[in-house]
Amino acid sequence: MEFNNNIPIYLQVIDKIKQDIVSGKLKPGDKMPSSREYSYELGINFNTVARVYKELENEQILFTKRGLGTYITESREQIEDLRYRMAKNLIVSFIEGMKQLGYSKKDMIKFIEIENNNIERIE
Amino acid sequence: MISLIKYEFIRKYKLVSMILITILALNLLLLTKGAGGSMLFLVVSLSALFVFYLVDIIKMYSDDLNKKTGYMLFMTPNSGYKIIWAKLLAAIIEGAGLVLIYFIFILINGAYIVVSMGDQIDYSQIVRGVNQLLSGTFGFNLGHVLVLLIAVLAFLIAFITTVYTAMTIRKSIFSEIKFGGLFSFIIFLLINWLLSLVSDKFHDIMTPYYDSINAVSNAGNISAGGLALILLPIISVFIIQAIVLTGFSGYLLEKKINL
Amino acid sequence: MSRLIINELTKKYYNKIALRNVSLNFEQGKIYGLLGPNGSGKTTLMKVVAGLHKQTSGHVLINDQVLSYKTKSYVSYMPTENYLYSSFKVVDILKFYKDMYKDFRYDYALNLLNDINVKLDYKVSNLSSGETAKLKTVIALSRDTDIYLLDEPLNGVDVLARDTIMDIIAKSYGENKIIIISTHLVSEIEKVLDTVVFLKEGAVELFFDAEELRQERQMSVEGIYKEVFGND
Repeated sequence: MEFNNNIPIYLQVIDKIKQDIVSGKLKPGDKMPSSREYSYELGINFNTVARVYKELENEQILFTKRGLGTYITESREQIEDLRYRMAKNLIVSFIEGMKQLGYSKKDMIKFIEIENNNIERIE
Repeated sequence: MISLIKYEFIRKYKLVSMILITILALNLLLLTKGAGGSMLFLVVSLSALFVFYLVDIIKMYSDDLNKKTGYMLFMTPNSGYKIIWAKLLAAIIEGAGLVLIYFIFILINGAYIVVSMGDQIDYSQIVRGVNQLLSGTFGFNLGHVLVLLIAVLAFLIAFITTVYTAMTIRKSIFSEIKFGGLFSFIIFLLINWLLSLVSDKFHDIMTPYYDSINAVSNAGNISAGGLALILLPIISVFIIQAIVLTGFSGYLLEKKINL
Repeated sequence: MSRLIINELTKKYYNKIALRNVSLNFEQGKIYGLLGPNGSGKTTLMKVVAGLHKQTSGHVLINDQVLSYKTKSYVSYMPTENYLYSSFKVVDILKFYKDMYKDFRYDYALNLLNDINVKLDYKVSNLSSGETAKLKTVIALSRDTDIYLLDEPLNGVDVLARDTIMDIIAKSYGENKIIIISTHLVSEIEKVLDTVVFLKEGAVELFFDAEELRQERQMSVEGIYKEVFGND
């Protein structure tokens, strides 16, 4: 994983894990590597990884089984909720950005439809 | 301590081996020139060994103090005292080893001279044979030679510790002075001058001792034992000097060193 | 518990002041970056802690003990210079360390050097600069001790060897260990650092958690370094 040193690294790792969960790369109940192993894998500081795990546990996206390790939540609701929140963030920043460029709601929606069709055609 | 001494020798064994092989080769070469060659060899090899020893001992400490490779030694959890004592002990062992080797060369060449002069020699009595040669020709025996060599070794040790102390002073208290080698030399001269003042006083005190010895031995005919008695005070001075200076160097290494 | 406390440390030379009243507190379980241009005092600081230089004033406490030859056993220092006996073979250097340091992990070092292709029977003088750097790093990190001081471990090292060395450093992390890396190649190592210390002309310019810096300044540590020191 490539990192952008201009933004806190722990945030980037958190985003990546969330993406992987939502996209299905990481399945509910999957075991995460230990903090140490994960820090080797990513080539980053151990304490950063520890912080990532702690924050994701606070958000109830990861949980720790005492003595066994850290796991992805098995709760479908949690994951759906995460997916929703991530999508919402994207939409909110999209709307704000487009507003700044002077697009109206109608034009925004039209634009989405056009570009979506374009993308689907390529796929 | 043992490890420190061990590595002193590991680091120099190649050089020492080369020197010894060269000297051996020189001996073989000069043996072909008869008794004269043998005697020449003994003189030449003594000077060569002497010079080599001094240079080697000084260089070993100088390298550790002045080159980056000194970090290997000075990062180890050994006190400055241990380090300098280890160096001194290694110097003594090396010196004693060289004295012994030179002594063996004396025996070999001495036997060769005896043989080449036509006399028979009983190899089991080689020591006595050489002794007789020396007593006959020069008026002294191997006992004298040994005592003398020990005195020389004691002197060398004292000399080396003076050099070591000068180098240590320079590398600790005066670590920023340029032309360090020159400065070390100046400190060395100063120390020697101070020591000579002390030893003059000491010899004044010792006059009664010398008088008593003279009374005992015959004028012009001193036994090896007698020689030992005469040289004992000066050997003791050398030894005390070595111990005091080494202790001081150890203190500096421990508290004041700046590599 | 490992601790390194540096209090008002000053080191003066005849014609310059290398360290000015430096006060720093290092905690275990962290990797610190000691950053600054050449001549900023990084090496001097490390050498004082390693017991190779004597400070002019101030104290250093290693695990609550005053600096002495005994504290050298708590510190593993990797000098930036070529300090290994050049006539020794690699394996001889390992033996030296095994003889001199009770905490040296000989087999660990041996295996690691094999893994990274440093030939054990080569003489030190015949190693390339990349191999020498790898060797120095492995030796320093093969000691199982409390404080590691690595002085410019990536200097003069090609890109591939750098990755290897960074890898070895990262894997040496320990909850009870203090690892301090000095460098002026900031972008290479900043991902691995917990806390950064900027040393400018012998004084502490900055002492900050790396992630907090990124959060606050929206900039990489390298970016902040360039601001503080100008282009190095």
